[in-house]
Amino acid sequence: MSIKNCYNFEDFRNLAKNKLPSPIFHYIDGGSDDEITLKRNTDSFDECDLIPNVLANVGKPDLSTTIFGKKINLPVFLSPTAMQRLYHHEGDKASARAAEKFGTFYSMSSMANTTIEEISNISGGPKLFQLYVHKDKSITDDLIERSKRSGFDGMCLTVDTLVAGNRERDHRTGFTTPPKLTLQSLMSFALHPKWVFDYLTHAKFELANVAKKTDKGTNITTSVIKYVNEQYDPSMNWKDAEYIVKKWDGPFALKGVMSIEDAKRAIDIGCTAIMISNHGGRQLDGSRSPFDQLKAISDAVGDKLEIILDGGVRRGTHVLKALAAGAKACSFGRMFLFGLSVGGQEGVEKVLQNLHDEINRNMILMGCKNLSELNSSKLIYRK
Amino acid sequence: MKLTDCHNFYDFRKLAKKKLPSPIFHYIDGAADDEITYRRNTSAFNDVDLVPNVLRGVENIDLSTTIFGKKLDLPFYCAPTALQRLFHYDGERAVGKAAKKFNTMFGVSALATVSVEEISSMIDTPKMFQFYFHKDRGLNDSCLERAKAAKFDVMALTVDTITGGNRERDLRTGFTSPPKLTLSSLFSFATKPMWGINYLTKGKFELPHLQDYVKEGTSTNTSIGNYFSTMLDQSMNWNDAEKLCSQWGGHFALKGIMSVEDAKKAVDIGCSGIMVSNHGGRQLDGSRSPFDQLKEIVDAVGDKIDVICEGGFQRGTHMLKALSIGAKACAGGRLYLYALAAAGQAGVERALGQYKAELERDMKLMGCTKISELNRNNLRFRNI
Repeated sequence: MSIKNCYNFEDFRNLAKNKLPSPIFHYIDGGSDDEITLKRNTDSFDECDLIPNVLANVGKPDLSTTIFGKKINLPVFLSPTAMQRLYHHEGDKASARAAEKFGTFYSMSSMANTTIEEISNISGGPKLFQLYVHKDKSITDDLIERSKRSGFDGMCLTVDTLVAGNRERDHRTGFTTPPKLTLQSLMSFALHPKWVFDYLTHAKFELANVAKKTDKGTNITTSVIKYVNEQYDPSMNWKDAEYIVKKWDGPFALKGVMSIEDAKRAIDIGCTAIMISNHGGRQLDGSRSPFDQLKAISDAVGDKLEIILDGGVRRGTHVLKALAAGAKACSFGRMFLFGLSVGGQEGVEKVLQNLHDEINRNMILMGCKNLSELNSSKLIYRK
Repeated sequence: MKLTDCHNFYDFRKLAKKKLPSPIFHYIDGAADDEITYRRNTSAFNDVDLVPNVLRGVENIDLSTTIFGKKLDLPFYCAPTALQRLFHYDGERAVGKAAKKFNTMFGVSALATVSVEEISSMIDTPKMFQFYFHKDRGLNDSCLERAKAAKFDVMALTVDTITGGNRERDLRTGFTSPPKLTLSSLFSFATKPMWGINYLTKGKFELPHLQDYVKEGTSTNTSIGNYFSTMLDQSMNWNDAEKLCSQWGGHFALKGIMSVEDAKKAVDIGCSGIMVSNHGGRQLDGSRSPFDQLKEIVDAVGDKIDVICEGGFQRGTHMLKALSIGAKACAGGRLYLYALAAAGQAGVERALGQYKAELERDMKLMGCTKISELNRNNLRFRNI
């Protein structure tokens, strides 16, 4: 099986499973607790159906939309995800280059292994920086200032990760960053020599943007769960968020908003966007899926800020349904991470190409010339 | 597999299965008829989703709740279950000490294998005695008096076991109490020698609350279903419950209430709480799950008595959902029994500690710092 045979999410996932040591595969693939929410995030798209219009003379549909003040060629973009260097030795650079090629956003995590400045040097495409609020305020301020200096277009503040979710697959596989060899994981690493070779022969693994500020950023082996619980500030509140919005002074989103009440408050503190997300089912299991919650939030605040649906997207039709229910764009993590794992930049490009082709084809089948024609009249919910 | 490999309910279940002779494992694990209700008790939680609120500053979480006038540090407790020394040689001693460590309620069954007096001398934290209404009135009086003398805080009358449920796994495995060696069970006992050694060497198996009154309390082998059907008084009615309630003279609860009508009657006869419960799916198969029924009952009597949701809990988020609907506390048996079987007191402590850690984490992720902040705005029911 090779990248060119990867036609959909499952293909990329299967190939990634072959290529990655199992602790790393399961870190991407897993969710929290019983993974009910992880599963629901995708299943919820199946509870409504698309209603096409025929004979619409669509021609070549326009798939562009505007978010964070930037026109993008596709209504999807790469969610910020941590530690991409674990999945492919080129990590964030590969993702950023692929996103630029497709004219859409690459997003950088606070926990990226590449610096803000490096990415800015290699990519002129739209860029979003994702911020975690650390207990050490100087880390937070430093990240904001550097992102601004480096020409990032938007910033999002993650608000659903005050404490790490209970990712039981990581307990079992002993997943740590950087990877630690335990008796348990040794076997799996030994069976994936190509990954180990690439990992060891390329640039050193570090949390590049926070490395100088915290010893956890370098080579102390720690689990992500421990990192989150030690470094992030659980007392973070609306005042802190407002301070960051002002300090950033540009297009800004809260990532991980689920309630209507919070969506309204996001407007009050000056956000231009929200990302409806449950962190890919990796935090609070049993929480509502973004798509289930989308319509209510869109009805309440859709005319006042940009709504981005984050999580569960596997197919072009999922994107169409989300846009019809009121989202401006969708973002996703796992799908491009599996692409990254199996083929670096080329893998991410194949993922985006597949999604582009699906969205393009489905727009034609729906009889829509541009994305604004997707509205609630195109959807019927099953009861 | 070791105790440290147990990260959740299912892990404890797996380890218990390895350690217990199969008739005993299946006695815990099984339920009535086709076990539809048993499964629904847990799957009901998946028909509703949590909707968190963010940016609320959630450094310190208070999980305490007050039921029956007693403040518990946790919003869940160990429901009374029978025959605990069959599962681990420390039995109720292990569970009681673990409950004490977390300052939560410990429920002691009338069919316990350690006496109320011993438990009372061992733990000073809140205790509940779970009572079966026997035909023998002398036995009933004795249970009440001993529990009172031993300073138990709550008396819970079980009202859903008027006859034994049809636990077909027990029929197949030949489960009796005390365990009887049959040809079919012999193999299973023989393959778990540690259980057998501990069972035979760590003190005689008995039912101290019953033994002076009925031969089933001692060494005669009987099945639980048979015990319920022959020893308990099937004519028990609301008058009997009311009399017991005033005879007890303290916090009194009915365990196994499912209808709104009965919940209201419980208020009328002077109960201070009810457990919405179907006995862990072990009695009437096809009956509604406690969580499905919780909302109606809370709406009807939640402002008058403590409504406790019992059954199906396997996760902190399950508890969060029940508490959001309006339960004052959550309770469960299998919740800690697999852990007891897996590793005694250390197992129960690990299990309770994990639920506590889950709840603390889930509260933070929900944006709530205390139980009273949970409400129905946090929930959305799916339209299916």
